[in-house]
Amino acid sequence: MIANQVALIRRELWEHRAIYVTPVVIAVIVSLMSITGQVTVSSFNNALDVAILGITNLGERERSGFITVLTAGLSGFFVLAMWVLIIFYTLDALYAERKDRSILFWRSLPCTDAETVLSKLLTAVLVIPLVTFAAIAVTQLVVLALSSVWLGMHGANAWHLVWGAAPLFENWLATLVFVMALPLWLSPFIGWFLFVSAFTKRSPLLMAFLPILILPMLEKSLIGTTVFADAFFVRSGSLPILGEMDVGDFMFFEHGELQAADSAAVSLLPLLNVGQFLGSPGLWLGLAVCGLFTTTAIYVRRYRDDS
Amino acid sequence: MPSLVSARNVSKSFGPVLAVNDVSFELEQGKIMGLIGPNGAGKTTLLKAILGLTDCDGALSVLGLDPFRQRKELMQNISFIADVAVLPRWIRVNQLLSFVESVHPRFSRPRAEELLSRTKILPRAKVRELSKGMVTQLHLSIITAVDAKLLVLDEPTIGLDIIFRKEFYGNLLNDYFDKERTILITTHQVEEIENLLTDVMFINDGRIVLHASMDALPERYVELMTSGENAERARRLNPIFERDVFGKKVLTFEGITREQLKGLGELRTPGIADLFVAKVKGAAA
Repeated sequence: MIANQVALIRRELWEHRAIYVTPVVIAVIVSLMSITGQVTVSSFNNALDVAILGITNLGERERSGFITVLTAGLSGFFVLAMWVLIIFYTLDALYAERKDRSILFWRSLPCTDAETVLSKLLTAVLVIPLVTFAAIAVTQLVVLALSSVWLGMHGANAWHLVWGAAPLFENWLATLVFVMALPLWLSPFIGWFLFVSAFTKRSPLLMAFLPILILPMLEKSLIGTTVFADAFFVRSGSLPILGEMDVGDFMFFEHGELQAADSAAVSLLPLLNVGQFLGSPGLWLGLAVCGLFTTTAIYVRRYRDDS
Repeated sequence: MPSLVSARNVSKSFGPVLAVNDVSFELEQGKIMGLIGPNGAGKTTLLKAILGLTDCDGALSVLGLDPFRQRKELMQNISFIADVAVLPRWIRVNQLLSFVESVHPRFSRPRAEELLSRTKILPRAKVRELSKGMVTQLHLSIITAVDAKLLVLDEPTIGLDIIFRKEFYGNLLNDYFDKERTILITTHQVEEIENLLTDVMFINDGRIVLHASMDALPERYVELMTSGENAERARRLNPIFERDVFGKKVLTFEGITREQLKGLGELRTPGIADLFVAKVKGAAA
């Protein structure tokens, strides 16, 4: 069972190379942008010296907060790409094998339909986030290393400014929890995409998104309620893993000076509220919906015969 | 010999259409059975039921298992080509071997590699880079490297040229088949597998119209080539089918001894293809 899962998930990575190529491409782009930025900034010689001096004289909390905001900003690209990857991956996962008829070959091997569909679900909710996290961590290291070199070239103490101040491990832990939590929170969509992928005869992207757009409109115009709209859009717009804290509380400028809020910590970790996340009924309801759709996808793969 | 496939009153319908209609038969170990039928006769549906790819009514047992409900166990002991050109096009040959090796307890990778070394297929090649014939060679190498009790081939040589087809069946007989193994095969190119088969089963409109061992055919069926008066006399013996060949009449008989037809013309055992046409068209007439 476990050995089969490993083999099946490895197969998904062979087939869907975008799962690791995309994060690598983003990592390269972000690193290049960071170099470009440093080169551009370098042309402002005098202002630069003043700025470096200013940063050097900031308090430790401010410096930590500054680096946290910088590195978290990098993660944003990867998290966005992760969600796009998950959408396209799940819509393709059970559709491509029917389109090229390779499902006939896969089903001639001793793997059950449940094992196969499960491997695709695990790839979406586990493997893609882990790959994303790894790419984020490596990119942050690269960008911080590049910044250190650059600061060193301008006579600043990189250890003091960057490595001594960065709450790297706390931020990584928070990032890991966040990228793992996001697919769980959005799991009803993931289950739905898998189901559409197993079910539709053509254009899975259209078939997946049309109902998400049309159902709330129909509901609103016919019976005036917004149950579907709430279910779809409130879920995709909220994330209970993020605590009450507003990012605005996190850092602010006062009298033109960067300040860390007194109550705020300077890493990402306090931003997360795992208890609230695990205790939210929406999470468990969403997982149940995902389970239902996934089971239906297994059923469709097993019973439908359209080869 | 134990029975590997046992079908009792098996039926499968798609809506109002009965694709397989009350079929019963046994397939014993060590046989090579040809399942012959026109398009839409229900061959593929019957094979799919045997492979657990589709549900069916009636009692169907394959290797003592319920194929639909115990498909995973079944797949460990049978191997099949459902159709040519169904290998995923994105995969590399060595990835394919690794994957099958990790999920199939009876797959021998060294055996597959040995078979592949006789071809021009390179381990790093992607399936999409291979010719149609090479894809089939690859597929055949994989499934014949599985130590399976039952091998099921559905139209394995469709779209292949004659050289590949000859090689395919040659390899199948020489390298694969032995007394322990059993093969179930369907094809339109009946003449090519005629000499391979130990048993033959005709299916038409979802029903079995003939199921016999190849050895029994000459006793049960005889073909008479004749003309004129002799043809008239032969017709009184109720041929199941009659056709014209080069201005002569060819009459096919079932259950008539060669003694009875002596002196009426040339006698021979009908080929599978001719016999099939006689059984199917004769029944329709």
